[in-house]
Amino acid sequence: MQRWLGTSLAAALLLTACVTINVYFPAAEAKEAAKEFVDKVIGDDAPATEAKPAPQTPGGQGGSASLQSRRSFDWLALIGIGSAYAQESADISIKTPAIQAIQNRMATRFQTQLAAGFDAGALGLTRDGMVEVRDAAKLALKDRVAITQAVADDNRDRKAVYREVAVANGHPEWESQIRGIFAQQWIASAHSGWWYQDAGGGWKQK
Amino acid sequence: MLPSMFRRILPLLLLTLLALPAAGQARTLSARIAKVTTPVATLQEVTVRLEWPKTAEAGNLTLSAGRVTAPDLGYRFDNLTWHCPLQRDAKQEGWRCEGEIRSAGRKPLKLGVDLATASTDAVLQSGSSSLALHRNAGTPDLTRIDLTRVPLAWAQALLTQVWPEANLKSGQMSGALNIHVPEVRPLRVEGRLTFAGLGLDTPDGSIAAEGVGAQVELDYRKSAGLSLLTLDGSLRGGEMLVGNGYIALPDTLVDFSIAARQQGQSGWEIPQLSWNDGDAMRLDGSLAFDAQANLRDADLRVESPDVAPLRPRYLSGWLGLLGLGELQLQGGASAQLRMRGGELASAEAELREVSVIDAQQRFRFDGLSGKPVFSAGSSVDSALRWRGGEVHGLAFGAAELLLDSGQGVIGLRQPVTVPMLGGGLRFEDINLRPPAGERGLEFDFGLTVESLDVGQLAKALDWPAFQGRLDGRIPKARYADDRLDFEGNLVTRMFDGTVQVSGLAMERPFGTAPTLSADISLDDMNLQSLTGVFGFGEITGALDGSIRNLRLVDWQAEAFDADLHTDPDWKGKRRISQRAVQDLSSVGGAGGLGDSLQAQALKLFEDFGYRQIGISCRLAEQVCAMDGLRSAGNGFIIVEGSGLPRLNVVGYNRRVDWPTLVERLVAVTQGESKPVIE
Repeated sequence: MQRWLGTSLAAALLLTACVTINVYFPAAEAKEAAKEFVDKVIGDDAPATEAKPAPQTPGGQGGSASLQSRRSFDWLALIGIGSAYAQESADISIKTPAIQAIQNRMATRFQTQLAAGFDAGALGLTRDGMVEVRDAAKLALKDRVAITQAVADDNRDRKAVYREVAVANGHPEWESQIRGIFAQQWIASAHSGWWYQDAGGGWKQK
Repeated sequence: MLPSMFRRILPLLLLTLLALPAAGQARTLSARIAKVTTPVATLQEVTVRLEWPKTAEAGNLTLSAGRVTAPDLGYRFDNLTWHCPLQRDAKQEGWRCEGEIRSAGRKPLKLGVDLATASTDAVLQSGSSSLALHRNAGTPDLTRIDLTRVPLAWAQALLTQVWPEANLKSGQMSGALNIHVPEVRPLRVEGRLTFAGLGLDTPDGSIAAEGVGAQVELDYRKSAGLSLLTLDGSLRGGEMLVGNGYIALPDTLVDFSIAARQQGQSGWEIPQLSWNDGDAMRLDGSLAFDAQANLRDADLRVESPDVAPLRPRYLSGWLGLLGLGELQLQGGASAQLRMRGGELASAEAELREVSVIDAQQRFRFDGLSGKPVFSAGSSVDSALRWRGGEVHGLAFGAAELLLDSGQGVIGLRQPVTVPMLGGGLRFEDINLRPPAGERGLEFDFGLTVESLDVGQLAKALDWPAFQGRLDGRIPKARYADDRLDFEGNLVTRMFDGTVQVSGLAMERPFGTAPTLSADISLDDMNLQSLTGVFGFGEITGALDGSIRNLRLVDWQAEAFDADLHTDPDWKGKRRISQRAVQDLSSVGGAGGLGDSLQAQALKLFEDFGYRQIGISCRLAEQVCAMDGLRSAGNGFIIVEGSGLPRLNVVGYNRRVDWPTLVERLVAVTQGESKPVIE
């Protein structure tokens, strides 16, 4: 009886072990990619930093993401090949032509239109990685129309970027985490004096 | 206010002054009055000081008030001082005094007052601006004000009475106003004003105007619980912003008339509103706002014989938010809108040959006609037809949609076939729910694809010259949250085989970087015809395979898992031409043609026999991970030869840059590639 129990327990454990696939969100890499993206859009990427994320060693903490980031995502683990630590080169890629095209468009829009709105305090960075016209009165009427439109365009682009980064990296379900990382990065890269939304939704000036 | 008070005090003052003993020096008199009340204004802490040197022609008058308020007009001045020389007027009947008036926080102005026996005239001046006030003893309740190029800022307090949030920022006004302040009846301000360069703003920036020119007949009445305002006039030029709506006024006159009322603390109601911008837009109807100035109810009728100017003049703000800021409109239309409780209750349109053209060429509709109706309540039948149009470069033909709408959804009453690419799209049903509040546009439909000409499709999309007919049934396609998902399969027969497309989905079909994903499987395609179309040498045999998880972003392939191989069950000859070998080698980055001597020998042959051909590519991150039939040492076999001379093509480069591969493919199919066989 005891033996039977032990066997079935072991079998159950084995089964559980077989079906559980842990996919960790590579927060550090995502953060690196977000920084590269955001700094280029804002136009602060002058000191061309090496964008390649440092390979993560097993057990190294991924940083501030909402999910724990133990290590780079192991593609092979998904289909059951290789050990858990077989790969270390996974990163979050933002190099697809579509994302790059959107990035270029966003950079142009940011530097020609939105930056002035942020400087004037009219625009703010929301906690979900978007832009909001928080104080339209700070803009001349003519600009108000153009900037409101630019903000709508930019938010459409942002939404597409968060989605495409997740999909391009093979994990559509990461969209909200990618968005979260970008949201933090927009605020981290914001110039002082720009407004952003804190975690509670209140507006703060950096 | 000041002149009327002046009128009351002056005689008293003069009388007292004259009664003083003439002691050879200047006579000085001061009076302190705690409060003076006139019909329009109240003055508090008033001091009047008159100093009259013995032989002088004029006396020095100084009048000051700690506070002057005109509550009905909304004005308030603090620490007001007026200093002027007092003298007899020309006729020696009345008095005249003109001098500088100062009050806290305002620029000094010049105030001149004439007191005749039966009238009071006062003129307030600053540069070329003047405000003249006239009162007559015969009509004590009436004050007449003439305005000449008066800065609009002077009217700020008056405007604040009816619209507390508004901030006048720029502009001038001229004209005349009559202010009636009867003892018992309500305050009334009426007159005719001309505005130039009017600019205003609200603290939240939601309503603004700039550079507006206007001529207005105004009538405003205010009693304890009721305000009535009528405005009749015309606008010329300038721009206005209301929420997300942006109006760029034309240089031609736009006539308008507004009758508005506000009862107690409730919001303003506009029972009568009309706007006449000629052929571009004639609007009339009524509006009602809640206490927070949000639009609550609306009944509007709009007539637009020429819709072309609507976008630049009235719609650019809203369309811009949808990414359609440059939308082009043509034709004529009229519409009726009904809003209740902040929600759209019904919308009826009559379209007369309207064309809607997206500037980014994502879609266009030509010759839209009919009277579509949208209803949030009971069901209403209507119809809409068009002459033709285009979606993402694919043209479609004329169709008439028989619609019904109720409960906030508009849909088809019966199936409709839209001609397209030599065949048609038959929509079984459509249900469309317009965006409301936080929820975006949603729709679903069932679709039968009837014999679309793949040749035309290929031509429209700039693909190689595929031939065939595309058929299929999509029992349900759903669009919500920027995503269009199709259930069901599309099947096309081409090159004697079948191509099946399943798992179709689009994200942001009309937005940023539209995506298309699908799974494609190929079966028994005749390779001879296929290679002929592609200009890819010649291969005989049949092709099977699949392209799974295909994802196009902005119509460019971004990911897929493709596996193409010859059908092992093919009964005919299996030959591959010299040219096809070269092309395959070139595309596959293969290095399998061996070296010099053998290669030279092989060049003598037109074609070769093969047992099997297979190539696979898994595209991710712009890199194609290639494989073939199986591994062979470091490489992978793409062509496994058969018979003599036996030729194997082996690829070694397993990771190929996708853009490079596409370049090679294009070069090969256009016959430009010259792979080197050494």
